[in-house]
Amino acid sequence: MENKNIDPKEVYKEYNEKFDKKLMIDHDYDGIKELDNPPPPWLMWLFYFTVIWAVWYLAWFHWFDMGRLQEADYQHEIEEAAQKYKVTAMDTETINILTAEEDLVRGAEIYKKSCVACHGAEGQGGIGPNLKDNEWIYGKDISKVFGVVKNGTEKGMTSFKSLGDEDILKVSSFLLKKL
Amino acid sequence: MTQEKFYYDNKIVKLFAYATLFWGIVGMLVGLLAAAQIAFPSLNFGLSFTTFGRVRPVHTNAIIFAFTGNAIFTGAYYSMQRLLKARMFSDFLSKLNFWGWQTIILLAAITLLAGFTTSKEYAELEWPIDILIAVVWVAFGWNMIGTLIKRRVQHIYVAIWFFLASFVAVAVLHIGNSIEIPVSFFKSYTVYAGVQDAVVQWWYGHNAVAFFLTTPFLGIMYYFLPKAANRPVYSYRLSIVHFWSLIFIYMWAGPHHLLYQALPDWAQTLGVVFSIMLLAPSWGGMMNGLLTLRGAWDRVRDSAILKFFVVGVTAYGMSTFEGPMLSLKTVNALSHFTDWTIAHVHIGGMGWNGFLTFGMLYWLIPRLFNTKLHSEKSANMHFWIGTFGMLLYSVPLYWAAFTQTLMWKEFTDTGFLAYPDFLDTVTQIMPMYVTRTLGGLFYFGGAVMMIFNIVKTVKSGHIINNEEAHAAPREKVAKARLAGETPHRWVERKAVHFTVWILIAIIIGGLVEIIPMITVKSNIPTIEAVKPYTPLELQGRDIYVREGCYTCHSQVVRPFRSETERYGEYSKQGEFVYDHPYQWGSKRTGPDLARAGYRGGTMFRPAIWHYEHFLNPQKTFEKSIMPAYPWFFDNTIDNSTLKRKIEVMITLGVPYDGAEKDYNFVNKNGDVDYNKVEKAYKTQAEGIAKELQDMGKDVTWDKEIIAMIAYMHKLGKDISLAKIAEKKANEPKVEQTNSGEINLEAGATIFANDCAACHGQKGEGGMGSNLGDNFTLHGASNDDIKNVILNGAGIMPPFKKFTESEIANLTAYTTSLIGTNPENGKEPEGEEIK
Repeated sequence: MENKNIDPKEVYKEYNEKFDKKLMIDHDYDGIKELDNPPPPWLMWLFYFTVIWAVWYLAWFHWFDMGRLQEADYQHEIEEAAQKYKVTAMDTETINILTAEEDLVRGAEIYKKSCVACHGAEGQGGIGPNLKDNEWIYGKDISKVFGVVKNGTEKGMTSFKSLGDEDILKVSSFLLKKL
Repeated sequence: MTQEKFYYDNKIVKLFAYATLFWGIVGMLVGLLAAAQIAFPSLNFGLSFTTFGRVRPVHTNAIIFAFTGNAIFTGAYYSMQRLLKARMFSDFLSKLNFWGWQTIILLAAITLLAGFTTSKEYAELEWPIDILIAVVWVAFGWNMIGTLIKRRVQHIYVAIWFFLASFVAVAVLHIGNSIEIPVSFFKSYTVYAGVQDAVVQWWYGHNAVAFFLTTPFLGIMYYFLPKAANRPVYSYRLSIVHFWSLIFIYMWAGPHHLLYQALPDWAQTLGVVFSIMLLAPSWGGMMNGLLTLRGAWDRVRDSAILKFFVVGVTAYGMSTFEGPMLSLKTVNALSHFTDWTIAHVHIGGMGWNGFLTFGMLYWLIPRLFNTKLHSEKSANMHFWIGTFGMLLYSVPLYWAAFTQTLMWKEFTDTGFLAYPDFLDTVTQIMPMYVTRTLGGLFYFGGAVMMIFNIVKTVKSGHIINNEEAHAAPREKVAKARLAGETPHRWVERKAVHFTVWILIAIIIGGLVEIIPMITVKSNIPTIEAVKPYTPLELQGRDIYVREGCYTCHSQVVRPFRSETERYGEYSKQGEFVYDHPYQWGSKRTGPDLARAGYRGGTMFRPAIWHYEHFLNPQKTFEKSIMPAYPWFFDNTIDNSTLKRKIEVMITLGVPYDGAEKDYNFVNKNGDVDYNKVEKAYKTQAEGIAKELQDMGKDVTWDKEIIAMIAYMHKLGKDISLAKIAEKKANEPKVEQTNSGEINLEAGATIFANDCAACHGQKGEGGMGSNLGDNFTLHGASNDDIKNVILNGAGIMPPFKKFTESEIANLTAYTTSLIGTNPENGKEPEGEEIK
């Protein structure tokens, strides 16, 4: 229980005497004093390092042309994706309507999420045309429907190509088979 | 040495302190509302002036300029008088500063809610208020420099360096960013176009953070922290190094807000490297603050004030570490447009600015009122609640940001977007939005406790408005450097010199980045296809600006596959040359809209969709958090300033003067001919109105919704039309039968494909009638047959897909079948053909 008698202020005073450089005598601003400590060396080194890094970064991208800038970076990403996914667009001429129940169920799910807002829960139409009747503005076969869902139309149908060809085929099949 | 007697102006400090508290509460309340509106969209109340797009700028402006602004003046007016041993230069300027600033805030709140805005973040206020801000700010600076000149001390202390830098830089930034041409008393267009506007805006926006939220608060820290801790400042040399490096480097870092956007690569690179170099200078401030506490840490345990300072300074260190990291392009690709930015600024705002302000007021108010703080316990409680609130606010937002950005960028195994539906990525983070609102509520609760505590303290004390003080007059010292005097020590006793050096340090970065953007053409390569806005689209755009749509929607697609797949082709510099102001935005609470008018694109929606969606977004998407805009349907468009708008746009270089032939709105004298403008407006508006009327909507051409739809359909339209035209030109021409020349063989093919199923291979009938006999149900003339094919009849469906020539061929073939009496013919129906 010896510690109890130690005044923390005394400890700090000792500490300060040991580590702090001298008080700057003529620095007194409304009672605020300043010490003559050097800036922490690690901080100065951090600064020098960031300056060197900045020069290196500039040189890398703009003098030596070693890095990919914005546009090149995008091209690279596109090429990489083409390699990785080997995405070949489905040939609209040869695709066949899907009939497997699971595909149509998936089609119904997509319909519920992406199509209902415009074509209605039952396909009765609204913002977009009726999909229930037998009238197909752009043609009734699967390749036509697939094309409309994927690429949209100039008149107003949104392109849903971000769904991916497989899902587009599923939802198109659902439209033709179930509605 | 004779002592002079003078009086500190305490009353002005008191007024600013009260204003800080008052606006702090208001600003936080509005912030709570904005946060709650995202979590619970019904809180937008369906009224224009309570909708998020207008509320959010009120929150940001109230916190930045009203709360921290008044805190800065409180700290500066209190500390400067004491550091310089002089009353403020002019009581009139002090009062002008106070009342002028409060007037600006009041006007800001009213005009922003009323929809008068430039849409430039943290510079939303319209031109008359901009002028008022400049006047009041100069009054503040003049008062400060006047006080410096009549000061009684020899050298100026580091806190004053920071106040001076804040004054000089904010004046330059505010004026530079606010150069605009008035259209009316409440509307103006910025002189900068598109990319230039973006660069100028973020030169301003980033440095508003630097010179309004950082440097003045470093000034406050350098005075109040050593005072409260009763310890000497750790390192004078560190002060010098980090002051100059900070103010010089900050000014270059603005472009880091525009990484991967339609900005030249060199500017992006400057934004990156200067942000990285900003790390150590920023930490210089944090370290000098924290190391000053060396020897006083034992008191932090009991003192709420020191706790606020410690956490405030630490939050500053965290923010200024995070800032450079967010400026690395790899990190920025993930963080930008998400709630990461929101979390980041709230660590800075709540932690650094908020806590430093709270600490300062808890220290200052008892001293002003010659009493003791009413309850140290309550202040400690405030500290813990505030800290907890800040964490509860920011941690969920970081979580939300990581979640959402990863969802935006995730691809399926087959290479398609895993979450093509933007709304899915919003619905996913809704619980985080609710939690952060709760965090804000805690933080606000702490502030309310503080109000009670301070009211009690004020009541228990007594203020001396003019406090007597004594100091010796400043000794005359040689102008030149003295022997043994360091150059910096020399400048410290020469205030005007010092100010000039500050100006030089802060001006370079902006000039190097902005001037080439305006003068060097190759920075913004022209795109032939990009056309100006039509008068209708321009009006729609101004409504988009008025409603603050940019607070939730960006208009710039970055060159990432995850974005080009979702939105369409990435944005190029040349697309924005007619944009005064630019509308890229900085947050995607909703999806990007740069391709909303891209024909055949993933973001295109027909007019009727926009109609329904603006009227009630939740009808279109149940879980959507977008507010409804019912007033678009009631408001008649205000075209009273349209002529003036076209004139201003011509002044700004938009080719409405005949240079672009479809957009010629001038007469022979070169003056704007309003008849031409009005005709163009009405023709386009009536087209959209008719489309909607055909769908059964009760709408007229002169409603705001029409202009809004036109604007939506303009976004990306020009480049998409160019793409479509190019594609058509490249398509191999299909041999077409000359119109009028009938091709029976072609008709036969169509018949076999589309008609034979019901009418039989040879027209003998089946489900449909016999076409080969001499009887007909619906007539046998060419027109009758065409009519039946196009519109159907009885159970026969219509066939609208055929072209004119296909119908002609099919009609001719069908006519040729009459009387061929094929085998197995269905019994005759209808009338005999004569």
